[in-house]
Amino acid sequence: MSLYPPSTSYGQMSYPQQGYMHRAPPTMAPPYQYQPPPPVYHMDPNSFREDYLHRLSMLNVNSRPLIQSLSMIAQEQSRWAEIVAQCIETHIRRASPWMKLPAFYLLDAISKNVYEPYARHFTPFVIPLFLETYEQVDQSTRSKMEEMLLTWRSGAPNGKELFGVGPQVSIERAIWGGGDSGYGADSSRAPRNGGTAAPVSKAQVLSELDFTLSQRERSVHQNPYDTTAQNHVNVLRQLRSLVEAGVSQDELREVLNQLRALTRTMPPPAVAQPPSYQTPPPQPSVPQYPPAPAVLLQPTAYGVAPSQPSYPQQPSYSTPSTETKSWPSSLPPASALLQSNSAPAPVPAAAPVPVVGPSSLPLNNIENLFSALVKAGVVSSNNGRPVGAGATAKAEDVKSGEVDPARQASRDYRQAVLSQKIKLTNADITKQRPQVVPFLYDRLSSQCKQCGLRFSDNSIGKKKLEEHLDMHFRQNRKASQNVGRGHSRSWFIGVEDWIHEISDSKGKGRADRRLTAKETAAAAAKEEEAVLRASHVVVPPGDEAKPISCPICKETLPSEFLEDEEEWVWKNAVKKDDRIYHATCLAEAVKSNRVAALLLSEKASRSRSVTPDRLALRTTPPRGGKADASGSVRIPVSPSTQSRFAGTKRKADDPDSPTNESGGTPPMKKMTISTAA
Amino acid sequence: METGQSAPTAPTKEWVLEPETEYRFELDPGTSLAAKLIRGQAEIFGAELVEGKSYVFGYECKAAIYTWQGCTIEIKYVSEDTPMAAYANVHTALEQRRVRALQAIHGSPISDDSVPTEPPRVLVLGPANSGKTTVCKILTNYAVRTGQGWSPILVNLDPNEGAWAVPGAISAASVNTPIATSSPANTLGAAATSAPVTLSSNALLPLFYWYGHKEVKRNALLMDRLIRNLGQNVQDRDEDPEAVSSGVIVDAPAAFGSSTGSGLKDDQRQVLIKACVDAFNINIILIVGHEKLTVEMQRIYGGRMDVVKIPKSGGVVELDHSYRDRVHSYQLHTYMYGLRIEPPPGVTDATLGGEPITDLALAPASLQLSFDDLSIFRIGEESMAPQSALPIGATRSLSEMQPVPVDASKAGSRLVNAVLALLAPPNPDESERYDEEILDLTVVGFVIITALDMPNRKMTILSPNQGSLAGRTAIVGSFEWSEA
Repeated sequence: MSLYPPSTSYGQMSYPQQGYMHRAPPTMAPPYQYQPPPPVYHMDPNSFREDYLHRLSMLNVNSRPLIQSLSMIAQEQSRWAEIVAQCIETHIRRASPWMKLPAFYLLDAISKNVYEPYARHFTPFVIPLFLETYEQVDQSTRSKMEEMLLTWRSGAPNGKELFGVGPQVSIERAIWGGGDSGYGADSSRAPRNGGTAAPVSKAQVLSELDFTLSQRERSVHQNPYDTTAQNHVNVLRQLRSLVEAGVSQDELREVLNQLRALTRTMPPPAVAQPPSYQTPPPQPSVPQYPPAPAVLLQPTAYGVAPSQPSYPQQPSYSTPSTETKSWPSSLPPASALLQSNSAPAPVPAAAPVPVVGPSSLPLNNIENLFSALVKAGVVSSNNGRPVGAGATAKAEDVKSGEVDPARQASRDYRQAVLSQKIKLTNADITKQRPQVVPFLYDRLSSQCKQCGLRFSDNSIGKKKLEEHLDMHFRQNRKASQNVGRGHSRSWFIGVEDWIHEISDSKGKGRADRRLTAKETAAAAAKEEEAVLRASHVVVPPGDEAKPISCPICKETLPSEFLEDEEEWVWKNAVKKDDRIYHATCLAEAVKSNRVAALLLSEKASRSRSVTPDRLALRTTPPRGGKADASGSVRIPVSPSTQSRFAGTKRKADDPDSPTNESGGTPPMKKMTISTAA
Repeated sequence: METGQSAPTAPTKEWVLEPETEYRFELDPGTSLAAKLIRGQAEIFGAELVEGKSYVFGYECKAAIYTWQGCTIEIKYVSEDTPMAAYANVHTALEQRRVRALQAIHGSPISDDSVPTEPPRVLVLGPANSGKTTVCKILTNYAVRTGQGWSPILVNLDPNEGAWAVPGAISAASVNTPIATSSPANTLGAAATSAPVTLSSNALLPLFYWYGHKEVKRNALLMDRLIRNLGQNVQDRDEDPEAVSSGVIVDAPAAFGSSTGSGLKDDQRQVLIKACVDAFNINIILIVGHEKLTVEMQRIYGGRMDVVKIPKSGGVVELDHSYRDRVHSYQLHTYMYGLRIEPPPGVTDATLGGEPITDLALAPASLQLSFDDLSIFRIGEESMAPQSALPIGATRSLSEMQPVPVDASKAGSRLVNAVLALLAPPNPDESERYDEEILDLTVVGFVIITALDMPNRKMTILSPNQGSLAGRTAIVGSFEWSEA
């Protein structure tokens, strides 16, 4: 149940606690860089404002490239941070509700990645803006906003509240209600007097659960073999369905507390996907961000009164032991459970969030959480599955709910289409009022701003749109890399390829199709074999009738008369140390030699990695088995790789030559497809 | 040019004309237009308009309202129903078939048996300039826009049309994103290039057969055979259930629709239509605005499939031959050099149907090869010697389908500037070879012979890319092209 599939559009989770602070040394090249936005030379603030507003107005879908380019501009033009902040505020206020979330993501991205000075420019208006927007948007957007809000808790480069503790508390309180229950639960800061705590709302627990769940799911996604994480996801899901089914206030509080403790010790979601948000730090040598001006973080400025105004200057979290002490519950806190497995290192100020690899994550912390809850009677257990409050049924509902939208949507579509009473007759065609608009427009409410293709507004449509935007993004990136390189019309594909061309995923240009590694390897192997089989050794005069067998497989090598060569030859043969081997056998034997195998694989990978352009220009094909072949061996090259007009015509290149027995060279055919890009 | 229609809800439109500009309009039959001068001065071919009065135009009037000093005019334009409503209804009907076909493939229970479960395989017929290609394009675009994962196969059988590459070919391509319109040089989207493009419809992978002439009558037998070849491949295609359910849309040449002007005899026409129906397993015939043809088709095919007449769009423009010839030249140019359109001055963010303009410029290559590197053929009687030139007693042994080698070294080969279709390599298995195999080979690309060097037996060709030629057999037709 991934609420935000790791995807192309600007998602919340892909980077949250990873300010560049926590990144490895700056010398390490970031895996992915922003694509440079078009150079913008602004002479005056007004035209900059105009331009930025204009660009913002195009941000009406959740598009990662757009958000990236906008935050890139913000970063470069940080002297006009105030204008950028104003623009974003104005835009969010003005935009229609469905456009607000992407703009918030932009605000989020700029704040987290550029931080200074933007976060402080956003701080003054972030509370009302967030709350106003929250009022206006639909439920799914709200939960997205809640997720984003949760990341703000530790979104600042020093792991603290992105906009300061005041705004954070205000917003959380306003949307989840209830005194200090929201943020006050952070035991490191607010010494709690359990009795007076305000009620914890179900929505709040749910959204925090979802947040944790999604992080775990992401790590499962990145590392499918991590069974621990998978277990965690299962337990969290059960918890979620339990909470959803309705539990008492105390239970809610327990769940929430445990969850928080857990979240804090969990590794930040690994950012493995290439398009993660990584900006080279502007000043790599500065070990820490300058703390945001204290005045901004003074809670009094916002009318909220956490007990410790000096908090922002402190290391964010006290050590686990103090946490344990202040824990009000009779349950062992999850963080304490963790200690038995791996004691969290003392947290240095420069890296408040320890980057813990998934593997070092204590194996059982989530199970422990669950079992702790079971022990406390919060959750009843039956073979590890919650059964109370119809949770099982509920869990299944949730599950089937995930699968269904796609089928449901297509079922709806089918019904809607079939309910049209149209007959294919002259009269019906002209008399009926067409009902095409709902199908082509209304039902497909999100539109790609680059090419106009529309997608439905449900989760499948969103996923498709994301894939589609990702495709555009890759194409655009490819295009920008290709500047100055000449393009040309590709050859058309052959009939066999056309017949077997399966459109892999709709709406995602099929020119974009890539071969899987397996396919490529298989094709390369096949080509290799074809080349080997085509090699032959000319039979010395007089030896035509002499029986000869391959020393490896002991089979006899029949001699054949090759018309083109006008000579007797042994096919599939090579001569080595004066002995005639089957070319394939020898290659097999050589391959078992490790060095030779390495050489071979290097050659294979090289031949695969050439760019299509170079491939098209290449005139000499790779010659498989050349190293093994003695001088008297001729290796015909496959027709598709040879430039027929570049050199003298070769006899071996005749279409009848044995090379073609393998049906041509699959890799080259496939290259045609990818060249088509 | 006001050839479109106004939405029924807003039949009135105000236009502000800058000084020394004019508002042009061409009326369709049966439509009328009322123009009212709101403010300023205006004149129609010298006669001034009075402010506040409505001037009415009709009977296919083509005129222009000109202003020297600038003015505001109000235009009321009422068109009879556009064919879009009918096209949309056809689309809905096709969509029902697709949905049903997919249900049948998935084995879902069939709720309503009034709709057949065969995917829609549509043949569009009609006279010249009736908008057949446009209908095909609209139906294809609507299908891919539904978000249902359809990818219908669009088939162009009109050698005069050019479709994805050059005129003279017939072709088919699976379409999965809407086809943009920007130039008649690639009305159906473009075949793939090495440039990264944003729209998949600019990187289609069509399958081509080369007919070589613009008129169907030139070699109807060959046409028949190529249609059947193409149809066979379309039917053989492995596809996922959605693609299979999407069906086929076939754009037939005007010559199939009427004998007048096409030079085809009625029986030849019938044979060719039958070839289409058989080859693509057609189950719906759409006839664009032609009563007689509808009746004829209903008589022949009405019992087996749906034969429906759909209205012709009033927006269809008569295309004369010189326009067609110019388009052919644009198409060849576009095939080699890509599409480049200078946007009007001041437009800096122009795209061609969504593509950055610069990415669509292509670089062909000029290659020199020996006469022996390329076997060139002509198909059929076009290359036949006249009967009188044969020895006495010899009979003509060539048929319309016979590939005749063309010797570039002989004078009168007429190869300079000729458009050659480079064919895919023949069957590698010699025992599978047959005389007319080259008729059944698909096209891998087109090249143009730009120069012949007789003494050195070399020719210079323009090839679409710098790579080696993908085939060594070529067929020459009757198309020629030279860079102007």
